[in-house]
Amino acid sequence: MKKVYSGHEITSLQYIFLLSGIQVGVAVLSLPRKLAETAGTDGWISIIIGWLISTAASLIIVQIMKNSPNGSLPDWAAGVMGMWAGKAVAFLLALYFCFLLFDGLTKTVMITKIWLLPNTPSYIIMILLLVPTYMIARHGPRIVGRYCELIVYICLWIPIIYLIPLKHSHFLHLLPPLKEGWQPVLTGVKEIIYPSLGMVATFVLYPFLKHKEKAGAAVVASNTLTMASYLFITLICFVYYSPDEITEYNNPVISILKSIEFRFIERIEVPFIAFYLTVFSLVWIPAMYLTTFCSSWLFGRTDSRGHLRVLCIATAIATYFYTPTYRQNWVIEQILTAFGLGIEYIFPVLLLAFIAVHNRMRRS
Amino acid sequence: MKLPHNDQSSEHKPDLETHIPDIIEHLQRLFTDAPDLVIRKLSIMQTGEAAVLAYLDGLTDKNSINKDVLYPLQFIGGGGEPGSELYVTVGHIVPYTTWSHIIEALLNGDSVLFVEGRSECYALDTKGWPQRAIEDPQLEPSLKGAHQGFLETGSQNIALIRRYIPNRELKIKQLAVGKRGPASVSILYLEDVTNKEFLKRLEDRIKGINVDVIINTGELVEFIEDNPYSLFPQLISTERPDAAASQILQGRCAVVVDRSPSVLVGPVNFMAFFQSIDDYSTRWSIATFLRMLRIAAFFIAAFLPALYIAVVSYHFEIIPMKLLITLGESRGRVPLPPFVEAVLMEITLEILREAGVRLPAPVGQTVGIVGGIVIGQAVVQAGLISNVMVVVVAFTGISSFILPNYDMVAAVRLIRFILMILASLFGFVGIIIGLIVMIEQIIALRSLGMPYGIPLAPMRFADLKDTFIRAPLWLMNKRPISTSPLQNRRQGKSRFQEEEEEKKE
Repeated sequence: MKKVYSGHEITSLQYIFLLSGIQVGVAVLSLPRKLAETAGTDGWISIIIGWLISTAASLIIVQIMKNSPNGSLPDWAAGVMGMWAGKAVAFLLALYFCFLLFDGLTKTVMITKIWLLPNTPSYIIMILLLVPTYMIARHGPRIVGRYCELIVYICLWIPIIYLIPLKHSHFLHLLPPLKEGWQPVLTGVKEIIYPSLGMVATFVLYPFLKHKEKAGAAVVASNTLTMASYLFITLICFVYYSPDEITEYNNPVISILKSIEFRFIERIEVPFIAFYLTVFSLVWIPAMYLTTFCSSWLFGRTDSRGHLRVLCIATAIATYFYTPTYRQNWVIEQILTAFGLGIEYIFPVLLLAFIAVHNRMRRS
Repeated sequence: MKLPHNDQSSEHKPDLETHIPDIIEHLQRLFTDAPDLVIRKLSIMQTGEAAVLAYLDGLTDKNSINKDVLYPLQFIGGGGEPGSELYVTVGHIVPYTTWSHIIEALLNGDSVLFVEGRSECYALDTKGWPQRAIEDPQLEPSLKGAHQGFLETGSQNIALIRRYIPNRELKIKQLAVGKRGPASVSILYLEDVTNKEFLKRLEDRIKGINVDVIINTGELVEFIEDNPYSLFPQLISTERPDAAASQILQGRCAVVVDRSPSVLVGPVNFMAFFQSIDDYSTRWSIATFLRMLRIAAFFIAAFLPALYIAVVSYHFEIIPMKLLITLGESRGRVPLPPFVEAVLMEITLEILREAGVRLPAPVGQTVGIVGGIVIGQAVVQAGLISNVMVVVVAFTGISSFILPNYDMVAAVRLIRFILMILASLFGFVGIIIGLIVMIEQIIALRSLGMPYGIPLAPMRFADLKDTFIRAPLWLMNKRPISTSPLQNRRQGKSRFQEEEEEKKE
């Protein structure tokens, strides 16, 4: 399997942006509301706590992957515990990434449908999104990495726009900190889980890394980047909206743009959402690749293009027959959060413990 | 001109006859129905031997044949023995013993001297085909750069490049392409700078071409381009020697095709299509400004009509009220849907442009009048097209004119139509999908194996000095790393130290 990884190396920056892209993606839109619902205006503290936890989880994942510098996690599992363990891990990861992919895509379709194309059937929008997804994912991790990097650079101006609403802001909303104690802040941490999902991509991407020794620093950087963007957007929403008002908006990150007015353009959020499609694509394009990588591994194939085609067509057909409603989307999110909690936080800890025991037993 | 590649002939054994009548007969048999073949019998005064000079009229320089070949052979005595060296005042003389070589030499404009009783004949370089004078480049005029453009003769083009790089590290690999009429294709590169990987790839691809004749550089491109299905050009063809030389100095290869006035440069990246040689001859601040302008123009030319369609047919809520009223006034009279309106106008623009190119210059002006006044004014007054649409079309037209590379302009024209279709179907979403696909093309394409999106994707921060901006020349001491040159350093510290102002009382 080693051949698969050479010639597709990704740089540390690409790795950072890949991970951050999967994390931020669609989840950022509703994050301020959810935090406000559970933790009130102290929600930003939850982000920092969540950041510490997910950084720790990422470092654990990197620690695990240090045992397998030349292969992905399924490769390693197959080597240590036998072929079937490898297949089980590959299946689990494929399923998880598929979930992530489906969640990202359906959410994007829903937002597109609500804001931009109310009369277009969902499956048409889905097919439209799948075209560039297929085109980019078929080239493998290197091109996906380059894509993420480029999109991040292209999007660097977005934070500047979000500074405009600050002139109507009230920093008093944030005071006093911890007004209701630590309890709501800690419950708010669970809202951070869903927007932090995606670190597990390291299990697949690690062997592709050009500088594996920098992987630890890279995951810290990517988590910090994610945290910084969440903190930035959440704080702006908190100081702009009053603590009671914010929970009424479904996607405060979009609604806040309504306050921006230029003489030459009204309803600035419309072009913004269209542009956000590029940001959202940072979830489903890597997820698409990761899913097909794992599923191809499951069937022992090195070329993931066949699976990619099948997955794209299957997703399009599935959307034709079944489009999740808003409510169902929420359910999917809950399942994904539980699944993600298991696979991104608990599974790595267990695995690391297993590796520690395994290594000790082998030594003695 | 000697062409190294001639598989069939190199194995041939010497088959040249020694008797003049046999040779003449053979020549006449080979060149039937070729009235331009001249066979001149003569006797050589130097040695007293009988000889025949054959050449193709029109491909040879008459003056040179008369003065440098016929005159010395017939009128200058030498007293040499038969079979000794002949004195001809021609520079390049090659002895041949096989007919295939002789035919090739004749067809390439050499005159061939056969001497009675000798087993070899002599190809004399008397080339002189009809050729135009060196002119200003048509497609890439420049304000401050040189005013010499490439010609249709390969050797002259190589000379023009050598004038800029008089260095013995400038190497030339000569290949021949085409079975019926081999065109000599020369790859120019700097031995100690250019990465051999690109050179090898280029050479292999050119060697792999198996066609009758290559008429133009454009034909060669189609055979050696990395992805011929992509809309984006992956190699630059230039008609400026200074541009070619500057690219060679940056570690790229230039391909000179005989008979074609444009020279190929590779490997290139996407951003290279926004650079012009004038950038380096003007001050860096204005050059930077112009580059930004070109990039903006690229996006306007590609996206503006699509944006118009998307806004008017899907997202009119983003237009402020006052503007919406004006827009509604002019749109209200128009019977056509926005997409049809836009496509009609864009196609009109394309027709006008094409008409302007094909018509001879004196008639060409009428195109401007008909297009500008009749279509621009009348169509609006008649209520067929809205005012705003005419503005949009004019903007896209002008924007596409400032891009320095014709191939990229052509790509933009097609991309514009694709984006217009996407915008008419899906509004902004369609445009964004188009943008993502365009990004996919740029990041996934390769030019001779080098990533096309470099230095943006993969990011090479050091090369950004000469991408969006054109940094002052004395700050760019290294060659671009995107071409992975063997020799990184281009120049040392070249800027003088600023003198401190003398203190004056």
